[in-house]
Amino acid sequence: MLCSKNKIALVDCNSFYVSCERLFNPAIINKPVVVLSSNDGCVISRSTEAKALNIKMGEPYFKVEKIVKKNNVKVFSSNYSLYGDISRRVMKTLKQFSPQMEIYSIDEAFLDLTSVKDENLLEHAYKIRKTVLKWTGIPTSIGIASTKTLSKAANFIAKKKKSGVVNLINSKQIDEILSKIEINNVWGVGQKLTKLYIKSGISTAYELKNISNGWIKKNTNVFGSRTAMELKGIPCIFLEKYKKKRKNCCVSRSFARKVTKLEELRESITRHCLNAAEKIRADNQIVKKITIFIRTSPFQKDKGYYANTKDVDLAVETNDSIELVKEALIALDDIYKEGYRYQKTGIIFSGLKDMSIYNKNLFSTINNEEKRIKLMKAIDNTNIKYGRNTLSIAQAGAEKICNIRKQHSSKINTTCFDFLPSVKIA
Amino acid sequence: MKLLLPFHLNKVGAGFPSPATDYVEDDIDLNVHLIKNAPSTFLIRVQGKSMNKVDIHDGDLLVVDRSLDPKNFSTVIANVNEELVVKSFIKKNNQSFLSSGSKKLEDKISLTENSEIFIWGVVTYVIHAL
Repeated sequence: MLCSKNKIALVDCNSFYVSCERLFNPAIINKPVVVLSSNDGCVISRSTEAKALNIKMGEPYFKVEKIVKKNNVKVFSSNYSLYGDISRRVMKTLKQFSPQMEIYSIDEAFLDLTSVKDENLLEHAYKIRKTVLKWTGIPTSIGIASTKTLSKAANFIAKKKKSGVVNLINSKQIDEILSKIEINNVWGVGQKLTKLYIKSGISTAYELKNISNGWIKKNTNVFGSRTAMELKGIPCIFLEKYKKKRKNCCVSRSFARKVTKLEELRESITRHCLNAAEKIRADNQIVKKITIFIRTSPFQKDKGYYANTKDVDLAVETNDSIELVKEALIALDDIYKEGYRYQKTGIIFSGLKDMSIYNKNLFSTINNEEKRIKLMKAIDNTNIKYGRNTLSIAQAGAEKICNIRKQHSSKINTTCFDFLPSVKIA
Repeated sequence: MKLLLPFHLNKVGAGFPSPATDYVEDDIDLNVHLIKNAPSTFLIRVQGKSMNKVDIHDGDLLVVDRSLDPKNFSTVIANVNEELVVKSFIKKNNQSFLSSGSKKLEDKISLTENSEIFIWGVVTYVIHAL
């Protein structure tokens, strides 16, 4: 009996956002469907039928509108509350197949299947697929291999197979499969490395696998060698079973229409700031540096382009919304210029750290810190219970300009009592 | 690190301690009782006319578990003519049918003959406001 040392499965949901929309809307099954990014900007998820119409990933919606109209493609605005809930369900379902699991993104997870016997791997994978489909309605593809990078490659091929599963453990086809994968589709190989590899005559995963360690070390960095080693079947990237806390937190939005007034920019910066502060408080973190940025559309050349950012190093690390908004608005006033039509604002919190009782600082300007911590907690709890922005601070204004475009939203929310999916009696 | 301190339900007082202290339990959580398998269970709202035979009415909330296989006379959600609808599942002589609850035979749709129809999930509870 063969028993390989390391067995990793990458489970990836097929056209995840489209599959979520199809779950409660059988009328769009087997039809071309696309989901747009927030603000209905770009295509971010496509059904197989939409891919066949040559609609590309990430393409701006206005560029594909013609194809959409001509072929009656169903279009949806992204509905992240729905996708988030379905993702949670998929991950919970996967967890029972292996407690050793890394949630890699909203629609992908690595599972450690080392405890499954080699000869049972395929059967196990089919069972995972079948269960996820039945329980959550989401179709998946599974790639199994001895390293994460190889399992990604296996998954890439599995997506094109009807069975939806490719197992590279003890497979004699590894090299054949790797030679089908273009270098830019190898996990961990970005634009920069792709250019370097192609220039050096490496155009497939197979070719990268066979390059000498010396060459890799000389010409790339540690990430480059890791990828090459992993393609050779030597595990270098391990499962991250615990969610790592974020080091940065960025919130930004485009306006539905261009904005010129400082007052309106102040409102949007305030909202981003509150949003980011809520996120870091949920992780029990505090922030050291905030950066705000504003810009006009890069496409409106005739009306003047302006973009600027400003960093603020906080004297005292904090996660107090009121303090953070105060600092962010001072920074905004500093970089705001009249006479421009602004399209986007954003805020980045960086240097995030765990909050502990030792963060108290001589220079703290908050008089009654205990009370303020309690206030923030009350705000967060209220907003969790009654929806984001139920409790806010007055500077955030009433949400109107930033109201993101969601023209084609399915409006279904499986976790909100008022927007549950519905069925008819027939 | 959180330090978890034991939590005492009643104040340490001079009087006779409540004899119920040892028996106090949490509030009843309906989720625990109505949802056996959380990742596969959805709450779905009924819209339109009622299905009197199985007592399902407009506005009712259905607890639907996708992980279950329907048994004879199970109430199910099915995809019929590109729509999700509530139906009764009937098994007869190795054949499965969907019916709208009436006894009339012509109402029945054969699942064996219509492969495009599929069962979406099995209704486990109906929550009806009075």
